[in-house]
Order: sequence, then C-alpha cells, then structure tokens
Amino acid sequence: MATVTTNAQLSALPRTAQPNLFLRIVRAIDPRALILYAILLAASLFFLFPMAWMAGTSLKTIEEVGQPQLNLLPANPQWDNYAKLLREETFYRAYTNSVFVVTLVLVGTVTSIALVAYTFSRLEWKGRGIVFALMMGTLMLPAQATLVPQYVLFHNLGWIRTFNPITIPGFFAGGAALVFLVRQFMLSIPRELDEAAMIDGANPLQIWWYVIMPLSRPAIATITVFLFVGQWNNLINPLIYLQRAELFTMPIYVAQKNNLQESPIPWQDIMAASVLFVIPVLVVFILTQRYFVEGITMTGTKG
Amino acid sequence: MDVSAQARLENLLWAIGTAAFIVIGSVLVGQAAKMIARWRGLSTSDQRKVFWGFLFAAPWIIGFVIFVLGPALASLYYSFTDYKLGKEMNWTGLENYRELLLGAGAQGRRFSQAMFNSFYYMAVGVPLQIITSLGMAMLLNNQLRGIRLFRLIFYLPVILAGGPAALLAWRYMLAGNGGFINVTLQNLADSFFLFDWLYRGFIFTVEAFNSFYAGIAGGDPIGPFKYAVPALIGALVLLSIARGEWTPAKRARAWLVAELIGATIIVLLAARALVADPLDPGLLLGSGALAAAGAFIAHMRGETRRFHLWTLIPLALAAVGIVILMTFGSDAERSLYVLALLAAAAPLVLVYITRTPMKKRRLLGAGAALLTGIIIVRLIPGQLDGGRLAVLPQYLTLQSAIAQPDNLDYLNEGFAATTPAALWLYGLVALVLGGLSLADNRYPRTARTIALVSLAAFGLIAVSAAIDGVRYFQAYNQIAAATGEQNYHFAQFNAATAQWPDKNRVPLWMTNELWSKPSLILITMWSSGAGMLIFLAALKGVPRAFYEAAEVDGANRWQKFWKITLPMISPAMFYNVVIGVIAALQTFDTIYILRTPQTEDDLASAAFFLFNRTFRQLEIGQGAAVSWILAGIIVLLTVLQFRYNKWVYYEA
Repeated sequence: MATVTTNAQLSALPRTAQPNLFLRIVRAIDPRALILYAILLAASLFFLFPMAWMAGTSLKTIEEVGQPQLNLLPANPQWDNYAKLLREETFYRAYTNSVFVVTLVLVGTVTSIALVAYTFSRLEWKGRGIVFALMMGTLMLPAQATLVPQYVLFHNLGWIRTFNPITIPGFFAGGAALVFLVRQFMLSIPRELDEAAMIDGANPLQIWWYVIMPLSRPAIATITVFLFVGQWNNLINPLIYLQRAELFTMPIYVAQKNNLQESPIPWQDIMAASVLFVIPVLVVFILTQRYFVEGITMTGTKG
Repeated sequence: MDVSAQARLENLLWAIGTAAFIVIGSVLVGQAAKMIARWRGLSTSDQRKVFWGFLFAAPWIIGFVIFVLGPALASLYYSFTDYKLGKEMNWTGLENYRELLLGAGAQGRRFSQAMFNSFYYMAVGVPLQIITSLGMAMLLNNQLRGIRLFRLIFYLPVILAGGPAALLAWRYMLAGNGGFINVTLQNLADSFFLFDWLYRGFIFTVEAFNSFYAGIAGGDPIGPFKYAVPALIGALVLLSIARGEWTPAKRARAWLVAELIGATIIVLLAARALVADPLDPGLLLGSGALAAAGAFIAHMRGETRRFHLWTLIPLALAAVGIVILMTFGSDAERSLYVLALLAAAAPLVLVYITRTPMKKRRLLGAGAALLTGIIIVRLIPGQLDGGRLAVLPQYLTLQSAIAQPDNLDYLNEGFAATTPAALWLYGLVALVLGGLSLADNRYPRTARTIALVSLAAFGLIAVSAAIDGVRYFQAYNQIAAATGEQNYHFAQFNAATAQWPDKNRVPLWMTNELWSKPSLILITMWSSGAGMLIFLAALKGVPRAFYEAAEVDGANRWQKFWKITLPMISPAMFYNVVIGVIAALQTFDTIYILRTPQTEDDLASAAFFLFNRTFRQLEIGQGAAVSWILAGIIVLLTVLQFRYNKWVYYEA
C-alpha cells in the first residue's frame, strides 16, 4: 500500500520535479514484499500445477501420455480428445444427469433451508428453543450413524437405482450447519421490517417471501454455492444408490474411467473428462469466492 | 423413451409429490402444535404463533424423523443382528461389536487395520495439514497487492479435491514409472549431488517408518519397546514441568496428560468389559474404579464444584460389576469386589454428601487411591502377573529383563512373543502426573522432588526398555540365522532398512503399500485450504498492539510467533485439529479413487471399511455396528473439543 501512495504523490508532482523512471522503480521496490511474492508464487505453483497438468495432458496423444515427460503442453494440441468425448453418449448422459440432480437438489434444499432458517430467526413461538437445540444437536451426530439404515429405508421404498435417494432428502432442509448460517444472517435483518409488513396485514409466509428472502440474498447465495460444489462433487451417495450405468452422474463417470484396466492407460481421455467435469465448479467458485470465504469463516465447515 | 430420461421424469414426479407431502405434512404439524398449545391453555395469539412457527419448522422436523431419528434407531437395532440384505435377521447380541473391537476373525482384523490406517492419517496427516494451512495463512496475512488472488489460488484445491477429477490428475502425476513427479525428482537428483542424498534419505526414511508402522499394524510383537513408549511419554512431560518454578500452568499440563491417558485407559477397559465373553466383572469394576478415582481427583482440583450426572457413570460401571459378581462369583471374589466398590465409591460419596474439611478429604483421597490401585492391580487380569512386576526394578537398575541367549527359544523365557499390554505403565504415568497436579503452590519443593525422582525413574525405564527392545529385535535375526529360516518379524522393515536406496530408486507412490499412505497425505496437504481460512480469520483477529508491545521489548520474530501468535490463534488450532481428526476417520473419496488392488487394505479408512462391508457385501448388521463405533468415537472427540476448549486461550 505504501508504494502506491508514494507513486501517486510522485505523479502529482510537476513533470520536471520527478526523479527519473529507473530511480522511481528502484525506490518503489520493497525487498520484503519481493521475497513474499516469490514464496507466494512458488506456493501457487504447487496448488495450481495439478490443474495445469490435467489441462495439458488432456491435449496430448496416447503415445505422449505413456512416456515419461516433463512438458506441460504438447506440440500439437489434440482438441479431438474433447470432440471424441462430446460425441460419446455415456459422457453426455452423465453430464445431463449431474446437471439435473444438482438443479433439483438446489431448488429443494435451498427453499426448505430458507423456510426453516426463517422460523428459527424471525418468528417467536413456544418450543422454538427446544427444536433449534435438537437441530444443532444433529451436527454432533456423524453421517455414519444413519448411512446404513438409510440405505435399508431406501431399499424398502424401492428407491435403489433411482435418483430419489439423492434428491429427495434435500427437500427436508438437510444440513443443520447451512440452516445455522442462514439463520445467523436473518437475525441481523432489522425487526421493524417484519413489523411494518405485519401491520400492513401480511402473514408470515408473505413476509418471508417479500421481505426476508430479498434481503437474505447473500446468505442464500452462500449456501447455494456450498450445496452446488458439494453436490457436483458428491461421489459416495450416487455410488451407493444409482448402481446403474444410465443413471451415473459425472463423479462416477470420471471415477469409472479411471478403473478401466487398459494398457496403456488413456490418461488423455481421463483428463479431458476431468477438465470438463471441473469447469462448472471452477467457474462458480471464481465468481462467488467471496461467499465461500465468508461462509467458511462463519460456520467453519466446507459445506 | 431412454432410461435416464425416464428416471429423471420419475424423480421429478417424486420431487413434486414430496413437495406436496411436505406442504400437507407441515400444515398438519402446525395444526397439531396449535391444538397442543390450545390444550395447554396458551392465548389465541400465542396459538397462532405456534402454528406458524411449527409450520415453517416442519420440513426439518419431518425430515429429522424420517431420515435421522428413525434410521438411527433402526441402525442401533441392526447392529445387534446379523442382518444381511435379502436374508432373515437374527438377533446376535454383541457379536458384531465383539468381532470388531477385539479384532477377531478376518473382518475384525480388517477393521483393526482400517483403524490403524485412520490413526496414521490422524497422527501423521493432521499435523502436516495443520503446518501447511498455518503456513499458508501466515503468508496470506500480509498486506500486499493481489493477496486476494493468492487466497483464491490457495483455496482452489479444496473445491476440486472434493471431486474425483483432481485426484485422478494426482494419480497420473504420481505414477511410479514416468509420472511427472518421479521424473522431476529423478532429474533433480541427477543434476544436484546434494539433492540426490536428500532424495535418497527421504526414500529411506519414509520406507523405514511406513514398514515399521505396517509391522505394528499387522500385530508383530515389539517386545520391551512396549514399555519404552509410556516411560518416554512420562519422562518428556516430567522434563517439561520439572525445570524451574512450580507454576499453575505446569500443574494444568500435568493434569491434561494424566487425564488424557487415564480417560483412554478407562474407555479401553470399559469397551473391553462390554464385549468380553463371558462377561468380565473385573474389567467393569476396574474401569469403574479408575473412573471414580479420576472423578475424585478432578473434584479435588476444584474442576467439578457442583454435582454432575456423569460422575455417576463410574459408580454405575462398578455397581454392574458387583451385581454380576454377586450372581455368579465365588465368596472369596465377592468380598474383594465389594471392597473395590467401596474404595471407588467412598471418596465420591463423601465429597458430594458431606462437607469434610480439605485435609480430611486429602487423606481420604490418598487412602482411596491406594486401595483402588491395589485392587486394580489384582483385578485387571494379565497386567502385572507373569513376572512383569519384576521388570520394573530390573529396568530401574539398568539391567536387562531379557534372559541371556543360551538356547534358541530363550525369547519365551525372557519376553514371551505376546507380552501383555503396557497399560499398567501408562496408568503409572497418569497416576504420577495426576498426583503432581494436586500439589498446589504450598508445596512446590515436594512437588519438584517428586517430579525429579519420577523423571529419573521413567527415564531409566525408557532407556533400559529401548536397549532391551533392540536386543529383542536382534534376537529374531539370531534365531533366523541359527535355524536358517526367514525372519518374518517386521520383515518389511528389515527389508526396507537393509540397504541405502540405489541411485535409480523411485518411490512407487500409489501402487506400493509403503507409499500409498504418504501419497494420500500429500494430496490432503494440497487441499488444506479450509483450515487455512479458519487460521486466516484467527490471525486477523490478533491485535497489532500485542506485536508492537513485544517489539518494544525487543522480541524477535520467533518469540513473537511462539508467545503471541500461537496462543492467540489456539482456538482455531484446536478446532482445526479436531475437524482434521474426524475427517481422517471419514476419509472416503480419496481412497475410493486412489486405491489399487494391492494397496486397498493399506489405504482403507474406517469409513471405507464401512462402505465395503455395507454396500459391497451388504452386511447391514456389521456395517451398522461399525457406524455406531465410529459415531461413538466422533462424539467422544467432539466432547473432548468442548472439554479442552478451556485449555486454549480465548479473548474475554
């Protein structure tokens, strides 16, 4: 920051009074910052490299992939790897399955969470404390405790090999941590707004929709991106319940590609599928990273 | 219509149906709540509020009953049966738990290996993750241009590592032959002489450590090393508190270690007692008496001023032991157990019921502790019998406890191949530390003397046991040499440490059982950005004034870090450790993607074992038992988090 102001002050000076360009640059350099930047860049390399390697590999030929090599990008980018994948029916099906499942889960979960968070933050009713405590108590109960009998439940319902076990539970405000996050946000909205709407004759449902929801947009956005990333990446639930090639979502599709016992392993295909799989998450993350940071520091979970 | 489109349509209809079900159910819940409110005589406006409140909360309430409460209860029931999907269900009682907790049978061994693997991820992975994320957070806690971009980059892997794509990229990079990482390492090793040595040293260290761990996980006997570990722990803790002044902080530290060790022993004994077949009243009584003594010491330290319900647990445990014994035991045993119960219960009862003066209480406590100690030694089978007690004086005088090798089966004479657990030595460490934590500021000299004497004792035991341990290991080689057979004792370790790695050696990462766990940890380090954000928030909360004041006092960077930064961010540290440990138990995606047929058993975490048992082999009963054991451990860890939160610094 210090260097910025110095430069600004310098440029404010009349042209003749400014020292020459070289001196200005030398003065502007802070050795401590330089070292820090060097470390930060090196660390970034560690964090970004697997992504870059993934993208680079996806453009190579099978011969290149099979050899020991260090070049990130091939001489001849094989865009055909992607074209081949896009023509593949299983890929297309897995992708659309994923989009479908994620959309449905988001609609159901976000709506129900917003409703439940509303009643825990804006409405006053006898028994609220107990129900809320019960909900926070479920945070203590690890997912493992219910994983097995849920499977039995869905098995008895005949829901194995359908999308239901993945999408339907979300409609019941799944995720106490997310409810808590939205509730905390809703608590900060001024009470006067509800009261004014109430005097105008609005019922709680109308207040929720017309007053609270528009004001809670940041919190809703936060849980939406959490849920999106979590669902898009979700491997274990689809793996347990779908069990049928036509229903596979992208995580299983990508994981299955890896299990092919081919030799040489077609890494370029696997990586191309991986790139296409990662892109939506990447885009969403970069556009909404502000919400991520706020959400995590608030709940301490990664969704 | 094709299958997936049809499935989607069906799912959509189900979703609409569910929405309708929720709306109707919510109205019903709301109405029911309203009726109850009316019945309880609430005013009309309150009834209205209750209706709306429950109406909106109903989606969660209904979901909780259907998807959490019901399944949780069902799972508890299944865990006592041999339920297998599509087969008849038979009540088998504690059989599932017995198999898993005692590591009996093929599945029990698999489970214990999975627990060993999970423990590896906790003990090795979590510290490395904490160091990485704290390092990243400290880097990002600088005022620089573009720092937000770096924060984005550092966090990015967390998002991606949740899915299989990035893991596959790692898998390709870590390929044993021709993978990017190995080629790079090889090239570097070829170009720099120094790096070559570092590289080979790294390979040697990792292989030695992991093969040793594999030996322990596989149940190879470690002989006298068993006693070196607790003695070393005791010596190190005592070393850190025996120097300098006797401060409350040191007492707190002694108590922390004593409590952790004691609690672990109690939990282990109680768990064993619960699954023992036939029922073992001795274990129940032993754990109950120990817990009662612990509760008593906690009370003496003024931690539990009020009556807590949980302090009844030890009494209940001990009482159950008594009842069982009264029903089945002989007369001679009965009197002993009654005595034990009295010893365990008397101090507690007296402390809670009477207002005895401090000094009397202390006498009472000392007497009770002594009595409990004696009885526990008598009660816990296999702890001090078989000449194990004679080990102590021998080690204290730096003598070997292993018989001289005059014939081939001398191992059986000195240390049997399966020595009983060193639980009693851990107990001794806990006892000394717990006793020290009682000595308040009025007797600093006595406390220091006790600390120094026990430091010397534990140090001697540690040294002798370590020397004996080496001899014990050598003995296997001698036997192998004499008989001409291969030495299977820690065979992998022997092979890995037999020679310095060649110039062309490369780590085989995912395809080798010695390298698969380190690879996994490398990837979790890569994606440790969530912890970083927590640390970053904590770092931003440290007031600048503290550093400025320290600078005035001439503190250097290192001192500032240890004396200001670390204590100030300790809540975040604690949180990250607990979350990391729980995540280590639950590791699944990475293992599922990165496993190979050779390494599957060496990678499997507790959660992966659960998945295998339940969803691949459809053994619902045992899967449910695993899930409850896991749930128990996780709840215990969460309770620990609340319990020890006060050891970390919180801003008032």
